[in-house]
Amino acid sequence: MTRVRHLSEEERHGLAEGSLDDDGTRDAEAHLAVCASCAADVTRLRSLMRRIESAPPPTDDLDSLWPGIRSRIESGKVVLLQPASRTGNRRRGWMAAGLVAAATIVALAALELRQDRASGRGLATTAPASLSLASDSARLYRDEATRLLDEMELRRATLPPATRTAIDDDLRTIDDAIKELEGAIAHDPSNPALRQLLASSYRQKVDLLERIGNAG
Amino acid sequence: MRAPSEAVRPVNDVAAPDDIVRRAQQGDVSAFEILYRTHAAAVFALCRRMAGNDRDARDLVQDVFVRAWERLRTFRGESSLLTWLHRLAVNVFLGDLRSASRHPTDELSDDIAGTTASDRIDNRLDLDAALARLPAGARTVFVLHDIHGYSHQEIAQMTGIAPGTARAQLWRARRALLHALEP
Repeated sequence: MTRVRHLSEEERHGLAEGSLDDDGTRDAEAHLAVCASCAADVTRLRSLMRRIESAPPPTDDLDSLWPGIRSRIESGKVVLLQPASRTGNRRRGWMAAGLVAAATIVALAALELRQDRASGRGLATTAPASLSLASDSARLYRDEATRLLDEMELRRATLPPATRTAIDDDLRTIDDAIKELEGAIAHDPSNPALRQLLASSYRQKVDLLERIGNAG
Repeated sequence: MRAPSEAVRPVNDVAAPDDIVRRAQQGDVSAFEILYRTHAAAVFALCRRMAGNDRDARDLVQDVFVRAWERLRTFRGESSLLTWLHRLAVNVFLGDLRSASRHPTDELSDDIAGTTASDRIDNRLDLDAALARLPAGARTVFVLHDIHGYSHQEIAQMTGIAPGTARAQLWRARRALLHALEP
């Protein structure tokens, strides 16, 4: 008497999902014709496959996730400046100059805010305070950057070519970030995080220009 | 012989034009937004079934796309972008499991224990509920193979387990699902 060899687990799953080769499929089908136990099991597995294939994919309102993703992406895009000179003393001098410039601009922003309040132009009447402050800071930094750029142009010809190239690269990087942030703000004008990032990018540009101005 | 990957994957696999991928790789957020809107549903479908609930799946989708942005420069086009995103999703999901910051199976076990048959509205809910009861490893392999059509070799590359282990996990998952779904 010959003992019946049932299909292995691999053969059952392979037959149900259709991944057996032609010979394997033929042999397994032949076995199913004489083995009710294996046939029932493969039928159950095939039924599961059909059920899986007919199940619709889960869905959700995924548009609502994009602003959060974008915000996280933008927050990671603050440009990290490399000092134009590797000399420690000079670097510390530039950093100090940058801090002075930043402090000056923050003071200007605060002064303008007080003047706005004194003149009855309440910032909160048109936008959240954080949004307006960030917008004002960005505008002040941008104006300061424009002034410093004009000054730098006058001195540009006196700088070594390698320095000019390094400066141009840094400025281009910052300007790209600013351009992207301005584009993002155009799509999402009420996002205070984007405006703060824009102000931060302009501040970096001012810092860089200040360093250049103090380098000579 | 039917290759599962060929039968299932085209449902979700929308190719992104190369220039959009290239722009995103160069830092263009608007281009990346197009990639997000193209692939978010397919990434969510995988995340939802791996995580076992909507809340964790939404968190996972956000993490996956932030990670994708950070690593997009490493995408060489050797696989489809969706396959690459799915691989990231598996990495993030398994990484979260390892750090024990999410416990989808544990959280859902209690929910499902209180679910009656009348609460099961349709096939998807039944299937998803049964899936959520599987151990994370078997569930991940099952979702990748039987729902998203990845081969055992691809699953092995995604998860870091051997193809034979993936196969065994798949069989285990199917048996558990049969047990859970049959009356």
